[in-house]
Amino acid sequence: MLSRVAEALYWMARNIERSENNARILSVQLIHMLESSDQQVLDRDWEEVLDICASKEEYYGRYGRLNRDTIIQYLTVSPLNMNSISNCITYARNGAKATRDMLPDDLWHVINGFYLEQKNKENTPIMPQHTQEYLKHVIHTSLAGQGIVESMMTRGVPYTFIKVGKWLERAEKTARILNVICEKSMREKGNSETESYYYWLTALQIVNGYDAYIKEYPPTMDPKNVLPFLIENGNFPRSIRYCMDHVLEAVHNLESGKVSHYSERLFQKLSAIQKELKNTDISGLGMDELMVFLDRFQNHCHEISVLFSETYYLVEPVHSVR
Amino acid sequence: MLKNYQTGMFFDEMMETDGKPKQHYKYFYDLVSDFSKDELREKHDTAQLSFLRQGITFTVYNDTGGMERTMPFDFVPVIIPDKQWTKIERGMKQRMKALNCFLEDIYNRQEIVNDGIIPEVLIRHNPYYYKQVTGVEIPLNNHIFLAGIDLIRDENGDYLVLEDNLRNPSGMSYVFQNRYVMRQVYPELFFQHSIQTLEHQFKDLHGALVSHVPANSMNPEAPTAVLLTPGMYNSAYYDHVFLAQQIGIELVEGRDLVVEDNKVYMKTIRGLKRIDIIYRRIDDDFLDPESFRPDSTLGVKGLMRAYHKGNVAILNGIGNGIADDKAMYAYVPDMIRYYLDEDPILSNVNTYFLRDPEQLEYVLENIETLVVKNVSASGGYDMLIGPHAREEEINEFRKKIVETPSQYIAQPAIKLSRAPAYQQGRFYPCHVDLRVFVMNGSSTHVVPGGLSRVALKEGSLVVNSSQGGGGKDTWILSEGDDVHA
Repeated sequence: MLSRVAEALYWMARNIERSENNARILSVQLIHMLESSDQQVLDRDWEEVLDICASKEEYYGRYGRLNRDTIIQYLTVSPLNMNSISNCITYARNGAKATRDMLPDDLWHVINGFYLEQKNKENTPIMPQHTQEYLKHVIHTSLAGQGIVESMMTRGVPYTFIKVGKWLERAEKTARILNVICEKSMREKGNSETESYYYWLTALQIVNGYDAYIKEYPPTMDPKNVLPFLIENGNFPRSIRYCMDHVLEAVHNLESGKVSHYSERLFQKLSAIQKELKNTDISGLGMDELMVFLDRFQNHCHEISVLFSETYYLVEPVHSVR
Repeated sequence: MLKNYQTGMFFDEMMETDGKPKQHYKYFYDLVSDFSKDELREKHDTAQLSFLRQGITFTVYNDTGGMERTMPFDFVPVIIPDKQWTKIERGMKQRMKALNCFLEDIYNRQEIVNDGIIPEVLIRHNPYYYKQVTGVEIPLNNHIFLAGIDLIRDENGDYLVLEDNLRNPSGMSYVFQNRYVMRQVYPELFFQHSIQTLEHQFKDLHGALVSHVPANSMNPEAPTAVLLTPGMYNSAYYDHVFLAQQIGIELVEGRDLVVEDNKVYMKTIRGLKRIDIIYRRIDDDFLDPESFRPDSTLGVKGLMRAYHKGNVAILNGIGNGIADDKAMYAYVPDMIRYYLDEDPILSNVNTYFLRDPEQLEYVLENIETLVVKNVSASGGYDMLIGPHAREEEINEFRKKIVETPSQYIAQPAIKLSRAPAYQQGRFYPCHVDLRVFVMNGSSTHVVPGGLSRVALKEGSLVVNSSQGGGGKDTWILSEGDDVHA
């Protein structure tokens, strides 16, 4: 497969996953905020959402204050925010368009359909009462797309690149979410049990893991349970370990189980991460240790992304001069 | 439904002058007459939406950049009885053969010029004549892998060739998508007709493509072929995606290819992979910055060296533009006689050369009845349709013609045939033409049907999609079906 195509597929998948995650985070947060009336708390919550879904600094670079509608607009349809949902979908659509001959037609229809609808509404800002509807639509579009990939694509090279993109994006996002929440619980040490409960509940909800968690643990939001569940549970499909195990397995299959000289570094890195995940006793870590762990993991993700690109020649100058 | 439909002075594909449908349209006519107004409207909308959702778009360029648009689809098909089609098919094959002989001759000994059939000046000053490819040996000596020949019908219903497209003819995807959407949206129309299927065409297209194995292929039994596109911002990108997908070859851009040691490779996730055949949809000028335009970023540096060495086949041939030039067009019947010693099966539209003083004088005097075209423009640009033009336009063209007479040709304004189109809730007559696709390799195939293009703007003669034209499905009835269909 062409390197350019592999790269486009990888980024298409990342962008679809990103749009879904950001939509879910915003959706959960909007509901939570209905229960809060303290402006300070609200503002802090918004800052966290910005930290997870975009960049707080960039937002402040453009806007002076936290305003609910501005933030929603910034995170959903703003062309100025590189990670806005509509930008993610547009990038994903461009990626799909450039690789259409590799994709199931239905996948293109789903992405293009959403894009066209969005284009139609471009000049009418999303009304607050329609925000949830829009976010749900984004999530469903992503889920439909993933369903098509799962049920229609041959388990070949294009499939693998799509899946690796998705898992890396997801693992990184889960780490980012936990990082923000840990920071929050550190900052507000000595807070009431209700508040702590609320943080970890939020963490579970925004990765869509609440229902799965409840089946294994009583609804007692103990970070000693929540954190291992989201980090090292091998069966929960949004946990960091689950995603990384699957990345390793995918690369393994791509290389038919052989470690060649060109893929050696990638394998080494992936195996090291796996080992680290396995050997760390998450429930035994203090909050600050955990923060260090999560930071390191996000760096790993970045390195994997670079190594992955190098291994498969994904990083190529657009017009190479030879 | 078609009660107030007037055929007027034009040949109509579907209706007789007395308001009755032609024999081979009768079934279709009766079926459609049973549709209610709402049904028609709903089906029409479904069809248009289907094109949009599938992203079957072309890009229209304007001041603010490119815009994606779908070609409007009209559900009234152009139906052609088998017998008529057989003649078209024969005519197409004959024309292709002669045009290919011409290209082979022009890039080698130029006998047709030496024998005085074609004036030398038409070659020498032709912007599409590429000296760079003189004498290059190419697989099968075939310059035309895929051609799109535009046909029109005059007021007597006779088919005439309007234009040969031997470079990068687009629209093939529409032929298939029109049929696909038609089957989805109007399945009932298909029950009583036996229509020649399009299903096998890709096998033929693939066969024709891989029959162009270059002399030095490492893998002549299973050569690696790719489709080279300028990328997703090109107006015909969908066409490229569709063809690559259907033929089962990789869709590549110039930046995916590299020439090393005079061989062409594509950059894959496993390193470089050798390529044998390139079906390119990039214009000659942009193919290789080393040999043509140095500023081109679409092409591949060194491609021409690989081509000259016989390490890669490039389709369609480089320099084909000399043969589909609007001026060279007039000589195609002569080519047929000269190379094949046959009479042309399909006629040309009479063409006046304005560099000839007598013809120029005639054209200037009768410009109101003529169509004037710039020989190097396409897509309906820089063109005057005399009978429809305003006084200022005519004067402007007179001036242009007198300034550079050799830049223009003129043709009588043919009373282009019409067919009913259904738009905005009613049927009205619109001018149509037909682009027929011919594929050449070790054998020649004509796609049964082709892209019927329709000038949807009432009274307009321009069928180009960039100028508001639309598409129709084209049905070739199977043999023996003429009577009851």
